Amino acid sequence: MLPNPLALIAEITHRCPLHCVYCSNPLELAAASSELKTEDWQRVFAEAAQMGVLHLHLTGGEPLARTDLEELTSAAHQGGLYTNLITSGLGLSRERLKRLVAAGLDHIQLSFQDSELDRADWIAGTKSHAHKVELAVWIREHRIAFTANLVVHRQNLDHLEETLAFLEELRPDRIEIAHTQYYGWALLNRASLMPTTAQLEKALNVVAAAEARVKGSIRIDSVVPDYHAQFPKACMGGWGRRLMLIDPAGKALPCHAAGVIPGLAFDNVRERSLQSIWQDSSAFQKFRGEEWMQEPCRTCERRTEDFGGCRCQAFLLADDAAATDPVCSLAPTHNIVLQTLGQSPTEVISASSLARNWTYRPNPGRL
Amino acid sequence: MAVAETSKPNLAVGCKWGGTEEAPLVLFPEGAMKVQGTGLAILALCDGQRTFTEIVEELQRQYFGADPQRIRDDATRFLEQLHEKRIVDY
Repeated sequence: MLPNPLALIAEITHRCPLHCVYCSNPLELAAASSELKTEDWQRVFAEAAQMGVLHLHLTGGEPLARTDLEELTSAAHQGGLYTNLITSGLGLSRERLKRLVAAGLDHIQLSFQDSELDRADWIAGTKSHAHKVELAVWIREHRIAFTANLVVHRQNLDHLEETLAFLEELRPDRIEIAHTQYYGWALLNRASLMPTTAQLEKALNVVAAAEARVKGSIRIDSVVPDYHAQFPKACMGGWGRRLMLIDPAGKALPCHAAGVIPGLAFDNVRERSLQSIWQDSSAFQKFRGEEWMQEPCRTCERRTEDFGGCRCQAFLLADDAAATDPVCSLAPTHNIVLQTLGQSPTEVISASSLARNWTYRPNPGRL
Repeated sequence: MAVAETSKPNLAVGCKWGGTEEAPLVLFPEGAMKVQGTGLAILALCDGQRTFTEIVEELQRQYFGADPQRIRDDATRFLEQLHEKRIVDY
């Protein structure tokens, strides 16, 4: 029997005041006018709780761009979902934070781009760093879990030590170091973001030292970059196995990037119940189990661990969504990844030349 | 950090009970943990009111006949492990 999903990722809007160059949102952003209404989301959260979903991740875009975030949080909390807000913090005043905590927010995950203001604002394409620092103090006034999240890449890895020290000072419960994953805007900017092998090796030591330093007071979680790994990540814990993502317009997807795979038909929560989408939607069925697998995955003993890696990456890099994830060292197309790594410039580019080279993620329009 | 006799263990910030009565879970920011058997007996007593001493005494009553020192050692180890994972505070 198909187990129910454990977590629901609700991309409640694609609107965002930040323009991060590594954004994982799709290149085709959902317009504000297409967004689900408050009552649609409330129904979706109630259905999720009934299905046994444990965690709700409210994300975007910037979820705070929705003026009904307090109502959404309250509905999720009352349904019994563990409610997590993934945010840049822009749009969160001290008062609004109080209202969200009162509505039942369990955890806030605040993103940082760097330790130093100019560099952080340059990566985000918006003045945002100073507010985040202020917000971190307000968060500690409440009894909710606080994760400081840092997306790392070639442009900020060289001062990781400094940035970790800065994040520790904010007294979070968790620090999450997430290596950039190359989908959406990050894939577009890959040449500027891909770290060097030397940077990664140094980062491992820096993280290990930080873990030893803060043991017992802060938990550090680090997500290893897959291009440099020997085997692929178990993307989303396997396609249609644990997670379900609803985009701003109500489309149900097995992951953030699945929209890039041609030929998949995504059902909408406006038309079908969450339960029936999870069970029967053709997009969710497509890469469940092992029938779709090709060699070497089909007979690989790791297939029950990593499920052949990421379907979107297989399509984006090897033009075949059913292929072994090219980041796998056993993949017939692994050369594509090795070539990419070989081509990456080794130096950290200057701010001015980078500004000409990379593409900031825009804010979607009303239509 | 070692748990002291006067410590008052409680679920850490951002952790809470979930699941069902038959299959209780502790939910935390990025996951959940099944709790059963003696682990459940220990955690159920961690309400931020009882001291570690009181928790051990209560467990020794519940598991009457078992080696009292072993109960104390198990509870110590269990709580210290969960403290390191940021699931229990004391």
